[in-house]
Amino acid sequence: MGDYEKESRGGRSGGKDKKDDKSGKRTFFRRRRVCKFCVEKIDYIGYKDVKLLSPFIPERGKIQPRRISGVCATHQRALQTAIKRARQIALIPYTTD
Amino acid sequence: MSTVRQYELVYIVPPDSTEDQLADVHKQVAVVVERFGGTIEKSEPWGRRRLAYEINHHREGTYVLDVINGPGALTAELDRRLRTIDLVIRHMVVRVDEELAIADRSKSRRKEATSRRRVRRGLPPEPTETELNRRQEENDDMDGVMESGFRGGRDRD
Repeated sequence: MGDYEKESRGGRSGGKDKKDDKSGKRTFFRRRRVCKFCVEKIDYIGYKDVKLLSPFIPERGKIQPRRISGVCATHQRALQTAIKRARQIALIPYTTD
Repeated sequence: MSTVRQYELVYIVPPDSTEDQLADVHKQVAVVVERFGGTIEKSEPWGRRRLAYEINHHREGTYVLDVINGPGALTAELDRRLRTIDLVIRHMVVRVDEELAIADRSKSRRKEATSRRRVRRGLPPEPTETELNRRQEENDDMDGVMESGFRGGRDRD
């Protein structure tokens, strides 16, 4: 994913035919994942809000990595503390099996 | 004296404990808070909830949230005290004033930026009612959200 981005960026500044090549490749559409908290303008990620946190906790109870969820670094950090706090007071499981 | 900070205390008692027992725990918390010159801003019972995992063979618990203003030394004592109360099966004290301040700041900053942008475009600083309604409709449509996000998040990372 990262490599792909870098390539496309290089293609933009590089030669013309190269650019065409890249844009040809771009025909298969990859939906850009976007940070939920940035889009919805959520400022505070509280540990009490289970409904807000639950989409980021897959079945096993692990915290979803941001390469999957697309959350930005700032919000992933806030999300991480919120989830860990919620676990402590048994709002969210540490593990499920 | 020492600076006043805001903390949130959440504790869980077994669901079968009586009102009197709950009041007793609350009183003990209040005593500690008072001794350090703090105040309980609000006390919010969440009631009975299912626990995400078993604690001391309890599957359910009664949650209570207290918002406390006080010095930092208070938390250590509160923590120690709550651990000795057998009725409290789980507790947690977290400092919240900094996070809330950050959230407030970013909120006001965003509001300011929006109003500045709107004024530059010759609009009133606050979104009008009709605009808000229209935005609501757009948000109901999932593709609208994704599309706007696509543009916004493209150059990040």
